[in-house]
Amino acid sequence: MFYALLGIPLTLVMFQSLGERINTFVKYLLHRAKKGLGMRRADVSMANMVLIGFFSCISTLCIGAAAFSYYEHWTFFQAYYYCFITLTTIGFGDYVALQKDQALQTQPQYVAFSFVYILTGLTVIGAFLNLVVLRFMTMNAEDEKRDAEHRALLTRNGQAGGGGGGGAGGAGGSAHTTDTTSSTAAAGGGGGFRNVYAEVLHFQSMCSCLWYKSREKLQYSIPMIIPRDLSTSDTCVEQSHSSPGGGGRYSDTPSHRCLCSGAQRSAISSVSTGLHSLSTFRSLMKRRSSV
Amino acid sequence: MRKHSVRTAALIVCILSYLLVGAAVFDALESEAESGRKRLLAQKRSELRRKYGFSAEDYRELERLALQAEPHRAGRQWKFAGSFYFAITVITTIGYGHAAPGTDSGKVFCMFYAFLGIPLTLVTFQSLGERLNALVRRLLLAAKRCLGLRRPHVSTENMVVAGLLVCAATLALGAAAFAHFEGWTFFHAYYYCFITLTTIGFGDFVALQNDEALQRKPPYVAFSFLYILLGLTVIGAFLNLVVLRFLAASADAPERAARPLRQGARASRGPALPYRPSHPAGSTSISYRIHELELWARDNLGFSPPASPGAGGRGRAGRSLARRKSI
Repeated sequence: MFYALLGIPLTLVMFQSLGERINTFVKYLLHRAKKGLGMRRADVSMANMVLIGFFSCISTLCIGAAAFSYYEHWTFFQAYYYCFITLTTIGFGDYVALQKDQALQTQPQYVAFSFVYILTGLTVIGAFLNLVVLRFMTMNAEDEKRDAEHRALLTRNGQAGGGGGGGAGGAGGSAHTTDTTSSTAAAGGGGGFRNVYAEVLHFQSMCSCLWYKSREKLQYSIPMIIPRDLSTSDTCVEQSHSSPGGGGRYSDTPSHRCLCSGAQRSAISSVSTGLHSLSTFRSLMKRRSSV
Repeated sequence: MRKHSVRTAALIVCILSYLLVGAAVFDALESEAESGRKRLLAQKRSELRRKYGFSAEDYRELERLALQAEPHRAGRQWKFAGSFYFAITVITTIGYGHAAPGTDSGKVFCMFYAFLGIPLTLVTFQSLGERLNALVRRLLLAAKRCLGLRRPHVSTENMVVAGLLVCAATLALGAAAFAHFEGWTFFHAYYYCFITLTTIGFGDFVALQNDEALQRKPPYVAFSFLYILLGLTVIGAFLNLVVLRFLAASADAPERAARPLRQGARASRGPALPYRPSHPAGSTSISYRIHELELWARDNLGFSPPASPGAGGRGRAGRSLARRKSI
């Protein structure tokens, strides 16, 4: 029990970490391949990744099935079923490798192969899950944070510091909603871009322009992050007015300020068509600083 | 990226050494008992054979029959109640194995069922767990306010302690219940609950297998199912609180990794570089993703509305950064 208590979270983290590394690598390879093939748009979409992940899972299962059907004298189907049940960690135990002919003692290469296969197979499956499922598992927590930020920002209307300062408590963890609310008041606005996370949440909830970005990021998620209320972008404009300077090391770029204004609602259509030109925003910023 | 890879390598080394240590410990603990049991079994078997005059093949046949009869001893496993139990063990990946599909079509359906069911279950339990954590946090906050504490504030430590207590309580409750209903000792019942709720599911102890409980005791059956599902929610909540943040998501990391390669030697590299080292790929899921968004925001003035992840946006990023420098 103690072994499992420590080992299971460690294993979960390890497989997800390794899976993420593999996904990154595969994405890089695919990108290079696309460029090598001379394709005009050499970017790797989510659909590409999912397809590749799916096929690598299938081939892992097939390779294992072939190997185990040979060594254990099962049919291919039985060996495939065994690999599937093993790699999804269900593990019925109706088929178990290394149980015949004293294999554990007398066939070390086969034993080594089995161990390596299980661990590698779990990595592949873990990579696929990391790609497809993990984002849904953090959904709730992020929505909750965004709601909390939104509420906090609304209550702090007019305070300097572009609301994001209040998000100081929000870094990294899942729901620290109460932390956020209390530290929102405490942090006050120094214009300090204390916590990017909160800033981004702020953007996501307040600014439709970044809403588009988050929408794109989450296009494969079930809930769409819809700006709660476009009118709140006025709030964001006020706050950005009141915090003219930049905070900390970001003074050269105005990213801590909300770059939307009420007038930008019309820009949303151009944003959503993906043709939004940054010059629009450039002129926007110029206008704001003149005000 | 480097930091992330180092972290991954460290985790792999950690796991491998954990496996080696575990193997050594289990060997030390179990080997003796195993040989003891085997000796006893051989002794009993030769006694039986002497008593009844079995031949070797007869005995092997009898042994095989006895093994095959084992699952049937517990009653009908594939009627609706038993099948529901089986479905639970599949999608939660507990997988006792007390009942496993015997027909090929059953196996095929099982695989498809698991393929859809497992991710769905993972997401559902994490979602439920997160809601449970939010509820517990609110309750703790209310309790702290009630107690008149000056700074009512629920820290992570509070939540972790609360989570541990709730988990322990769940296990203890289940242990008490199953010890009573199944006639196990409290320790065996606790072991059963632990192995079930961590979804390991050895199958050495399985509930609802005595006295045809699946058919004859519907309230107990309902209790078992509810207990498993609620227990998994509680464990899921605890994992959500403690472990989920360490699970690195690959959503943005690949884009960021690929981008510098794509932009090549463009001027855009200039302003970007000073920032990048300060945010190495020490990713811890959510905070890392947010840092990424921040970097991206700075690079692209906060937005790059690509039609596909990172597509034309990246080109625009380069152009925009060039433009920024001119301004």
